[in-house]
Amino acid sequence: MSITTLVASTSDIHVVIAAFNEAKVIRGVVGEVAAQGYAVVVVDDGSRDDTAASARMPGVTVLRHAVNLGQGAALQTGIEYAVRRGARHIVTFDADGQHSCADIPELVAALATHDVALGSRFLGKPVVGASRGRRILLRSATALSNRMSGMTLTDAHCGLRAFRASAAPALGITQNRMAHASELLRKIRTSGLRVVEVPVTVRYTEHSMRKGQGGLQAIRILFDYFFRPS
Amino acid sequence: MTTLTALLAPLAAEEPSTAVPFSEQPVIRVIMLSGLAAIGYLVFLRRNRLPFHIVTVFGLLAAGAAAVLFPGATDDIAHYVGVGRGVDLITYILEIAVMFVLIHYYTKFVELQQQLTQLTREMAILKAELERAAPNPPPPPPPP
Repeated sequence: MSITTLVASTSDIHVVIAAFNEAKVIRGVVGEVAAQGYAVVVVDDGSRDDTAASARMPGVTVLRHAVNLGQGAALQTGIEYAVRRGARHIVTFDADGQHSCADIPELVAALATHDVALGSRFLGKPVVGASRGRRILLRSATALSNRMSGMTLTDAHCGLRAFRASAAPALGITQNRMAHASELLRKIRTSGLRVVEVPVTVRYTEHSMRKGQGGLQAIRILFDYFFRPS
Repeated sequence: MTTLTALLAPLAAEEPSTAVPFSEQPVIRVIMLSGLAAIGYLVFLRRNRLPFHIVTVFGLLAAGAAAVLFPGATDDIAHYVGVGRGVDLITYILEIAVMFVLIHYYTKFVELQQQLTQLTREMAILKAELERAAPNPPPPPPPP
């Protein structure tokens, strides 16, 4: 069965992109996704630059947080908006250009049999531009994440995911900052949603590395996860 | 020098404490008592004046003042509850009180943050829906 028969219409698919100070690259990323015919919801998380203006184009809705709250909060805003607009499938996509929209059809196709499809950087597709240290960090994060969530996944926190809109209420993110990724895994597990991993390509650029999470950030994420009631 | 010795007197372990006359520690006692008086003044003047509130605050302040005037009393209480020295007992009580206050304010802080998130989210969605309903809002009137 081909992907096109599984996915009735790309307009059922809302791609949520959370962006903070991404004016330089957001236009390229959003344009690429919108060109595929997906409804794009960009959430500008209180950026101090022109992120919101740069992202504005036909087929794209730009939401703007009046204050900076964090990636988790921005994603949740976009998800809630997408649900209100009648989305059937929701995809989360990073604003820094590390994901490829060529992976979206496969993720959404997996929703025919599952509620949630998580992108994985370690299922065969190449990880471009990651240093040896970063690979080790990601592997360790995956091992720890599996311990915490009780699931066996090959990747801990890939920003590229898809889920059915019907799963959105069970997944409601309350972790405003980066701990939302662990929170999502926990909620997937406790709510009994059917989850599958889909291989995706990740392209680390100098820009995405600078915006990305280093090893020290992990401590803050763990603090948030354990000490912020959600 | 005598003042310093007197101040450190409660720190001398094991020795049975005796009441220290006021004239021996005038400075620290005046500072402590005026601090307590200031707290009492501010609390009674600025806060609600429910009878329960007044009794509680007055009780706490009176206990504080008593501890300043009769330092030996805290040792007696400490011995009664099985703690070596009065200062230790006060430290333990303080620790619990500080933890309690911290947790209380941390909870409030998280709650406030959740409310801020909710507000910001509602505003963002509302604005987007308004823009959707009227894609081209009339330009703002020129400044006079």
